[in-house]
Amino acid sequence: MSGPKIPFAPEDDVPIRYMDRTREYYQALGFSPYRWAHFTDAPFTPLATPLARTRVALITTAAPFQPEAGDQGPRAPYNASAKFYKVYSAAVDSKPDLRISHVGYDRANTVPEDLNAYVPLARLQEAVAAGRIGSLAPRFHGAPTNRSHRVTMETDAPELLRRCREDGADAVVLVPS
Amino acid sequence: MGLAARHLEANGVPTVIMGCAKDIVEHCGVPRFVWSDFPLGNSAGRPFDVESQAQTLELAFRLLETAPVARTTVASPLRWAADAAWKHRFLDVGKLSPEEIAERRKEFDVVKAVAKAKREGA
Repeated sequence: MSGPKIPFAPEDDVPIRYMDRTREYYQALGFSPYRWAHFTDAPFTPLATPLARTRVALITTAAPFQPEAGDQGPRAPYNASAKFYKVYSAAVDSKPDLRISHVGYDRANTVPEDLNAYVPLARLQEAVAAGRIGSLAPRFHGAPTNRSHRVTMETDAPELLRRCREDGADAVVLVPS
Repeated sequence: MGLAARHLEANGVPTVIMGCAKDIVEHCGVPRFVWSDFPLGNSAGRPFDVESQAQTLELAFRLLETAPVARTTVASPLRWAADAAWKHRFLDVGKLSPEEIAERRKEFDVVKAVAKAKREGA
């Protein structure tokens, strides 16, 4: 049987298996494998109000620029001294200078020169202006990129919830970087 | 981020994650997820492309409105590049010489020590 070739996409054009790739990388370097958080179910809360009346909060893993913490520029190598270990909050209209040199983004393929590609604050503000969402919570919040799942679950997540509630957020957009 | 979303959601706050690492986010198990097949660091759309950023955020809004159950993923139709060559370049350990591996290990030991000091001083 032969006929015209079916134009399937190339075999390698699939989602990157980040867990395998990272595991192999760190094993090659001689480190013990990281265990990623894993659940087979997830909680669910339906949106209670139409989005046009919903107050939306933003949570990011990006870090405020810290002048004393070394190179945090778009081509900076992984910079652990720019990390933060406590939840922070800042006003959404403060034009924050947020960087991602403290996380393992894809340095081979991207240069984070545009904040809007990892922190959608400006796009959220436009969505408020367009009436697509009711409002933006007055503050956005920074989530530490902590390697301890326990600290994330027992300290950081409850703190993020507390702050979102304090601001009257009805829904939350979370954007890892 | 997945763990934070789960905690918010379990306490009555609907959430949506925008991200690039499909396997990691889905492995965690989250309520709603907009996946962009982009290099890590571009969860909110393509750099300097307002239209792609607005489209990606709109998918997050749609997901908040319409996801029928937890663990709903929507895939952004946007493409980073015409082909998949970029996908082979992320943490490609096969391309490293033993010397480079030793060098990376040394660098990572430094990174870990810096992070530890910062964490303990936090």
